[in-house]
Amino acid sequence: MRSLDVTVTGTERSADVGSPHGVLGVRDVAHSFGERTALVGVSFDVPPGVITGLLGPNGAGKTTLLRILLGVLDADRGAVTYDGRAVRFEDRRGWGYMPQERGLYPAMPVGQQVVYFGRLHGLSRREAPGRARAVLEEFDLGDRWGDRSDQLSGGMQQRLQLATALVHAPEVIVLDEPFAGLDPVAVVNLSQTLRRRARDGRTVLFSSHQLDLVQDLCEEIVMIDRGRTVLNGPVSVLRAGTGERQLRLQVRTTGREWLDPFPGIVVVSDQADELRLALPPDVDALDVLDAARAAGAVVDFGLDLPTLSQIFLRAAGGPAGRQEAP
Amino acid sequence: MGSWWRGTRLVAGRSITENLRSKTFKIVTAGLLLISAAAVVVPQLLGQDETSYTLATIGRPAELAAAVDRAAEAAGLDVAYLARDDEDAVRRAVADGEADAGLAGDVLYTPQRGQSTFPVLVSQSVVAIAVSQRLADAGLSPDQMAGLQEIRPPEQVVVGGAEDAGRADTGFLVGIVLYLAVTFAGSAIATAVATEKSTHISEVLLAVLRPSQVMVGTVLAVGAVTLAQLLILTTPLAVAVRYTDSIGLPATAGGDIALAVVWFLLGFLLYAFLFAAAGALVNKMNEVSATITPITLTLLVGYLIGVFVTTNDSDAPASVAASLFPFTAPLVMPIRWAAGDVPVYQLALAMLLTAATAVLLAGVAATVYRRALLITGRRAKLREVVGPPPATT
Repeated sequence: MRSLDVTVTGTERSADVGSPHGVLGVRDVAHSFGERTALVGVSFDVPPGVITGLLGPNGAGKTTLLRILLGVLDADRGAVTYDGRAVRFEDRRGWGYMPQERGLYPAMPVGQQVVYFGRLHGLSRREAPGRARAVLEEFDLGDRWGDRSDQLSGGMQQRLQLATALVHAPEVIVLDEPFAGLDPVAVVNLSQTLRRRARDGRTVLFSSHQLDLVQDLCEEIVMIDRGRTVLNGPVSVLRAGTGERQLRLQVRTTGREWLDPFPGIVVVSDQADELRLALPPDVDALDVLDAARAAGAVVDFGLDLPTLSQIFLRAAGGPAGRQEAP
Repeated sequence: MGSWWRGTRLVAGRSITENLRSKTFKIVTAGLLLISAAAVVVPQLLGQDETSYTLATIGRPAELAAAVDRAAEAAGLDVAYLARDDEDAVRRAVADGEADAGLAGDVLYTPQRGQSTFPVLVSQSVVAIAVSQRLADAGLSPDQMAGLQEIRPPEQVVVGGAEDAGRADTGFLVGIVLYLAVTFAGSAIATAVATEKSTHISEVLLAVLRPSQVMVGTVLAVGAVTLAQLLILTTPLAVAVRYTDSIGLPATAGGDIALAVVWFLLGFLLYAFLFAAAGALVNKMNEVSATITPITLTLLVGYLIGVFVTTNDSDAPASVAASLFPFTAPLVMPIRWAAGDVPVYQLALAMLLTAATAVLLAGVAATVYRRALLITGRRAKLREVVGPPPATT
């Protein structure tokens, strides 16, 4: 396994942030379940004001890491820091956490549920109902205040779960696979919710195995695989830093002999309606486009950066490399 | 500590609210209230007939009525008279249930065999009249006759066996109620913890609360609800045995019942944390009953020793040992205490041992609870959640 050269370490980016205020730090965290190693020694920073994605395939160790961040699980080694010091129980009480598996009291009315979690997070008896109403309105659940939670649809329950995590306006928001199972509209709504919180200066960290789904949402990413950090840094820097561009073409010709003059080009995908080519740095994209137009009509084209999935697979040693034992 | 208690109180408050809202709570509580009310009211209703009797006679024999009335007044009974024309009519009145007894000449008609209170009282009155007549014939003065009539039988005071039997009955009832209360409360705790685990609420809770807060809050809530139900069942009974003598339990049973409530608290604390830890081991709700079986079996053994050994011989070595051993003491000691003479130091020792064991178990159960809650997708094994944590990398 290899990491890309553009990986920006947590320490370097802490300096960019300036003050450690609101910065969540993970320092050499390791954890094992008996003989099975889940985390080998993960380190990174999560700055406030941006959305950070903790990305990786299923079984990479994301949930274990988030549970350690929240204090649900103890690390075998390493530490979690907040504001530049070891995190305390009182700090975590003010954070908001949404686990991968939804956890709601089935028979409890929606409003009481949000009030209860608000109170657990430190809201007073007086302010909790008002905050609960506001957050339920934000998630279009204002009219379901008195309904039992198990009478809501799956999507509504997901929004209710998010409301219980955000009712106390947490400084740090940690969400485990929040996009899993959501329809496209829900994905857009959740993305907007997270962007609003990040713009307000909150520290937002979420995990996902759907790398391409969230690549436009994340500003910072931490990619882990088999318990190790394989990539870490701003998304734009990581994608541009590969030095690779991809030419996307819809060309009306079945033959590919027009590519012969460009031996350095790699065909990333060749589907009926789209051809995707990885261009080496010394190849001019316009020369390739001209060659394609000479072979057939070009209906559509574009120049893209590599997707997060492609970057991840290269960093993790490709699909074949991922089948090796850790 | 303030923050710890605040979170614990919130957990307990939510759990109590949800309990009170459940159909199960409403049905069980209504049932207990009915049982308690019936235990107090029914004996009183039945007992009212036993203080008033009717005597059928031929005509209205004034001398007999005066003698019977005097004896009845001394016994605290009321007597009414039914005048009939002849012996046949008197006999029919008793046979038809119009009268409790019938006197015609030298014959006393009664509805059933055996020496019940009222026929004996009538017979004694008839004999007293005849004896007085003979004594008057023998020359006794009216003053001497009046003196004879003032002779009263000795006051009857029940001691020893009869009262102990009543207390033993109380102990037997207390044993059943305690066994059921601790078993039901424990099952409720295990179910509550298993529900939170299977619905993944526990992970959300553990991100904001300490495991001890969630566990103690749940235990307190179920304990409070069960104690309330126990008080609903026992308070009317305890008040009734203190202020009336009509429900068949001795006055000392009130104290025994109060002590039983204390034993419930001790027994509940001892077992509650074990039930909570067992509830955390399960993966699916249908595994709860299998997981708590070792605990309910231990409770059952205590109950069986109490009922089959202690009620028969409260000083048997097995009774003494079981009443001091912490896991059986909450069920056996109340029975033993109600049945006979238990030295106070043994009662105090049993309470102390039970309380100390409960504190120790709470610490172990909290560790099991925390580790087991995070093992999902399968039932947690006991060796995974006790002892030192897994080896580090």
